[in-house]
Amino acid sequence: MDALLKPSLYTPAATLLGGRCACGHVFYPMQTHGCEVCGRHGGDLQPMTLSGRGTLLSSTVVHLHADKARPAPFSIGKIALEEGPVVRTLLVDPAPSIAPGTAMKATLVPVEDGKRDLRFAPER
Amino acid sequence: MARTLKDLRPVYIVGIGWHPYQNPGPTPYVTLGVTAIRAALADAAIEWPAVESAYVATALLGMAVGRPMLRHLGATGLPIAHIENASASGSTAFRQACIEVASGISDVALAVGVDKRNPVRRESTGIDALAEDAIAQFTHFSLLTNEYAHRHGVSFEDIARVAVKNHRNGAKNRNAQRQKERTLDEVLGGKRVAGSLTALQCTPVGEGAAAAIVASEDGIRRLGLDASRAIRVAGSTARSERVYPAGQGFDAVLTKETAGLALQEAQISARDLDIIELHDAFTVEELHYIENIGLCPEGQGVHLLKEGALEIGGRCAVNPSGGLIAMGHPIGPTGVGQIGEIVLQLRGEAGARQHRGARTGLAHMVGVGAVCYIHLLQKA
Repeated sequence: MDALLKPSLYTPAATLLGGRCACGHVFYPMQTHGCEVCGRHGGDLQPMTLSGRGTLLSSTVVHLHADKARPAPFSIGKIALEEGPVVRTLLVDPAPSIAPGTAMKATLVPVEDGKRDLRFAPER
Repeated sequence: MARTLKDLRPVYIVGIGWHPYQNPGPTPYVTLGVTAIRAALADAAIEWPAVESAYVATALLGMAVGRPMLRHLGATGLPIAHIENASASGSTAFRQACIEVASGISDVALAVGVDKRNPVRRESTGIDALAEDAIAQFTHFSLLTNEYAHRHGVSFEDIARVAVKNHRNGAKNRNAQRQKERTLDEVLGGKRVAGSLTALQCTPVGEGAAAAIVASEDGIRRLGLDASRAIRVAGSTARSERVYPAGQGFDAVLTKETAGLALQEAQISARDLDIIELHDAFTVEELHYIENIGLCPEGQGVHLLKEGALEIGGRCAVNPSGGLIAMGHPIGPTGVGQIGEIVLQLRGEAGARQHRGARTGLAHMVGVGAVCYIHLLQKA
């Protein structure tokens, strides 16, 4: 199995490494700096695996991007995860026109150096 | 909040000035800055030693650039503070200058914004992100454009009309970076950056400077300034992003909260606004913000735009300067420049851009973070 590009953010099963505060706030990615809702920190913030399922809020095709390491065009989506956090990240390309409200699922795709990185695609 | 600006000593804008916003070039920032300040001093008819305190807004110039610039006006020993607050840097410097005068610590204070286009550097928070490097500002606003169009059943063509209006206003502004009228076809036909967003629907970040001098009533009397040209700062509010329900973007909510507080402070309603200068770095923003400032219900902004209500001479002139899309957005100066435009309008000195009978204006800025600043200005 290929290594993950960002193993601190997601798992080989394409689930997301989020966190949950003692106050109930669910966030992504996991961190222990402090809770954005209540300010609790350290051990009050515990890892919580997020399913990688969510609903598309919006998507767009980027035609122009300054970073040559990420050649355009590529697609970006804003997804409300079923556990609450909203993530903005790359969609599996080429992405068809996806309507807001579409059920989305995280998946892993091969990228440079034989690694795999997370993308979202409409759930089949 | 114990007190608002309105509860303290009255503050007036007595002088404004610019170095025109322009494409990036070889002009030293010092030249940009002192040009704007000298223009503001001349506008106020005061000499530099009368200025008791300076707030220098800049986001892209690096550390401590203020005194190497201000010393060329005469090193009077005045206190200098640098303000960095992303796009809202200039608005923040202006607010701090107002607070200093309102508090009674100074009678005359300067807010100057100056910037040149340099790479943005932001230290890592230590928290990784999936692909934030792939999401430029215009991509964020393209997502927002698609969301807005879908939610309200509005066409991309209609959203692009914001740019047509603002380029038309900018064409009449000699301080604007873009001074050319554009047809809807030209706006839509330009280079696409993300989704439906084209280059002419995005702000051209350039360079420039803007300055505003504020004074107390004591200062105005002591220096013998022309009180009839002084414009009252009737409200000043600032808020930052909180945690909102999924799907409710900060872009709209933060402006609604901040503008609501400002209107309450000045005891006026959105219907009283004759002029709005707002953060239209991308076309969809203008619609979001006028709706959340309260000009019309959500999703109705395009109707106001198409019936001409947002034009100079309409119900409320929105971005008569040309806004960020045409006047430009050199970052540090932008919020100060908005204040200057509203002052011109309320004095009746805006020339070809004059919105007749303007008495009340609102300046709106958001900055990455996100932060939001609102100022309300009124003819004394």
